[in-house]
Amino acid sequence: MQLAINIAVLAAIYALISCGYVLIYRATRVLSLAHGELMMLGAYGLYATASLFSGHPLVAVAAAGALALAVGVLVYFALMWRMTGESVLAAVLATIALGILLRGLMILLFGTQTRHPLDGLGWTNASVPIGGDAFVSGIGLALVLATAAVYGLLFAFLRFTRWGIRMRAAGQNPLLAAQRGIGLHGVYALAWGLATFTGGLAGMLIASDAGLESTMVVIGLKAFPAALVGGLDSLAGALLGAAVIATAEVLMVHYVDALLADVVPFFILLAMLVVRPWGLFGSREELDRV
Amino acid sequence: MFKQLTRIAAGIATAAALGAAPALAQAQDAYLVGVSGAMTGPVAGGYAPIVESMKAYLDHINAQGGVNGKPVRLVVQDDQAQPSRAATNAKKLVAQDRVILLVNTSLSSTYAPMVAESKRAGVPLFFAGGVCPPATYPPADPLQFCSTAYSANLDSEAALDFIKASSSSPVRIAFAGMAIPLVRTGIEHAEKVAVSLGMKTVGTQFSPPPAPDYTPFATKIKDADPNWVFSWSPWVSQVRTFEALRRLGWDGPYVAWAHLNAEEELARIKDGRFYVIGTNAFLEDNLPVHAEMRAVAHRTGLKYPISYLTEGYVAGMVLEAALKKVAWPPTPQKVTAAMSSLKVDLRGLRGGPLEWTKGNHFRTAQYYRVWRWDPAQNRIVRVQDWKAIRAGR
Repeated sequence: MQLAINIAVLAAIYALISCGYVLIYRATRVLSLAHGELMMLGAYGLYATASLFSGHPLVAVAAAGALALAVGVLVYFALMWRMTGESVLAAVLATIALGILLRGLMILLFGTQTRHPLDGLGWTNASVPIGGDAFVSGIGLALVLATAAVYGLLFAFLRFTRWGIRMRAAGQNPLLAAQRGIGLHGVYALAWGLATFTGGLAGMLIASDAGLESTMVVIGLKAFPAALVGGLDSLAGALLGAAVIATAEVLMVHYVDALLADVVPFFILLAMLVVRPWGLFGSREELDRV
Repeated sequence: MFKQLTRIAAGIATAAALGAAPALAQAQDAYLVGVSGAMTGPVAGGYAPIVESMKAYLDHINAQGGVNGKPVRLVVQDDQAQPSRAATNAKKLVAQDRVILLVNTSLSSTYAPMVAESKRAGVPLFFAGGVCPPATYPPADPLQFCSTAYSANLDSEAALDFIKASSSSPVRIAFAGMAIPLVRTGIEHAEKVAVSLGMKTVGTQFSPPPAPDYTPFATKIKDADPNWVFSWSPWVSQVRTFEALRRLGWDGPYVAWAHLNAEEELARIKDGRFYVIGTNAFLEDNLPVHAEMRAVAHRTGLKYPISYLTEGYVAGMVLEAALKKVAWPPTPQKVTAAMSSLKVDLRGLRGGPLEWTKGNHFRTAQYYRVWRWDPAQNRIVRVQDWKAIRAGR
């Protein structure tokens, strides 16, 4: 039972992070390599709002979420918008530069000390008994629930709302979508905003569980194999990819050797690239274009 | 066009010469020490406070007239814990700044290029805050010195000695650490020491740096049913494994290494069975030197908590003591000679003086204390007072 819980929590972490990669790629065809930094920025946002709205934790969380969404939109209009019409490689390089800039800025603003946003919110990460001898942390449970909610809402948004349908159209055929009157910049900005929001939410929850420090960027990159294994343009794929990677990691730690836990996601990724390069649910046509 | 370019080049050269002249004059009138440290980057949290407090201490000394009437000037270069940057820094510090001593405050992966430059130029290299390399232990390399608090093997021996002394029943011990070479060396040594002390090792878990969730590693440790856990690792790995174990319902005693932030973290975690072992005094000791540290930190506007500053303060004291023995004008050879026979009174920040001899550039004795949070008193308490381990082996 404990193993299943461990897998669920780790899968939730990877899924919540990797949906940001998917949202941006699916809508704009750009692979954002600044996602780890944007995730960390979301966590620092919570740390800042927790101090700003001391004694009002829900307001602080809502403000941090809104801030993450705004940062994503701002990144699009300040930087990625200028990449329109440039090669995909140029856009990817721009995200690398953005990541370096954000890392430097965060050290300048917040220093190098470990921060604990949960303390600022006045909440504790209690242990929740699940049954038998199994436990899950309060934040672990929140991660699973938040991931389920985010994916549920994203599926509904993309399927049933006007902006969601526009986003799918812009992703599938931007020229045709533009000819039909869809404002591509608005759609792309929304995709960046939503991706930064979901990544920021993952950052906030991870920082609440494990503290906030600059190594969080690496965790952002660790979710990358999950997105690729599932298929970079499929949300369902990201969910399944996260489950596959998390299951392999947890089982490797428990039954083989913890040292292999770090390697196994990339082994799975390599195997997937050989057998099915477009991922479990990815679109073959899109990968050929890349 | 060519004439114009020539004029511009001449102008730049003149300006550079004029600009460099005062700097050189200033440098020649001070003890120049070159530091390559991880001031930014993912591991900066463990190193930047050390450099900052070392610099603050030396500024404090300079304000009192300096060493032998001359100021000590630190030239700090950021290596972001990257070997290539450390190599560039060392070359620049030696060739351009002409420092008389190199200081490394960074990850061990940056050591090799700095050691190479130190040997090439004959400039001594002082490790202040990063792990002491084997070349500082007997028989020591003539050019390498170290004041850093931790030592993989000795720390394990001291911690296991404490566990044995504290345990009334047979010890079933598990080990936890981060999957990096230094930690693996320390833990592997601890496993051997545990066996020699009659303890039963029930498991060892290495977690990757960093892990998004430490629960899978803690689950494996819990399933091994230890009655003690010892972790010697970067703080994040030590404390996250501990917190994950507690959330899984394991309530045994856990011993970890006291990093810079240990005092602050004990007060945050507030667990009576979470012990930290270390060689630097805590602010709880309220020594006269702590009052000085507070004043220095306040004056220089240091942004770190005072409890983070001890390691850098110790390094500053060692630098001051070494340079006091260097007659003006200073040379790298004079500094090497001074450091090869040095005894520094650390004013209670450690259990005894830091002593370097010709063959031992680590220290002749290492002193350990153990602390924990006392929920009844709602404060940090000392569980074991200074206990010395000879380090000349």
